[in-house]
Amino acid sequence: MNAPLTLAHYMTLAGILFLIGIFGALTRRNISGILMSIELMFNAANINLAAFDRFLHPEGVTGQALALFVMTVAAAEIVVGLALLLAIYRGTDTVYAEDFNLLKG
Amino acid sequence: MIDQIVFYSLALLTVASALAVVLHRNTVHSSLFLGLSLAGVAGIYASLGADFLFGAQIMVYVSGIAVLVMFVVMLLGRASDLHLRQVNERWMAALLVCAVAAVGLFKVARLHAGTVVTAAAKPGTHDIGRLFLGEWLLPFELISLVLLAALLGAVFFTRTEKAS
Repeated sequence: MNAPLTLAHYMTLAGILFLIGIFGALTRRNISGILMSIELMFNAANINLAAFDRFLHPEGVTGQALALFVMTVAAAEIVVGLALLLAIYRGTDTVYAEDFNLLKG
Repeated sequence: MIDQIVFYSLALLTVASALAVVLHRNTVHSSLFLGLSLAGVAGIYASLGADFLFGAQIMVYVSGIAVLVMFVVMLLGRASDLHLRQVNERWMAALLVCAVAAVGLFKVARLHAGTVVTAAAKPGTHDIGRLFLGEWLLPFELISLVLLAALLGAVFFTRTEKAS
């Protein structure tokens, strides 16, 4: 507990968060649950970027700027994803991934 | 010592609420836990000295995306959903995928077990502004185009078609 914080601590935290996100994206039946899990994965990547910036290149802000780009792309992704979810729900009246089989022949 | 206490408590908050997001049966509750988990990540940014990222995380994620997800979950929710299982039957395979990914991730993380902070944290907002409007001007403009496209896409997909 008293050992100094290293980059490995932050990378381990980001790794755990990413694995939770993967598990959720693979196992949730509800599409909004899958979108939430994807947000967790984006956040794990952002923690890594901020930690690399702090530990490896403390003189610049490139990692933080890159994390802001990731944040913007994540916001765009969730907006389009939720809009698609609403549109599909209107047609099929379900939110479960296994019922989304409109393209099945 | 205070650094370690802050880091471990924020990490515990983030991971515990992320687990609740993934495992909770009630989707409304898991969207609330998503907000908590994102706020924990904002705290991690603050502990890393990334001040602008902390503010952006609170504004974009906690008060934007989490609220948006909550609205959609409440719009689409149905009372009968609470009695259905929210996890599909292939969770063993997903656990296996996670185990394989974990080996690789933690192997990489162990390489940096000796990397410690060398310089004191300093405010980065000014430098980020200079970077975005100087060297990274083109990516900055392109990302605003991406946001515009997302906005138009959301309007396009959610509009109700008139019966012709």
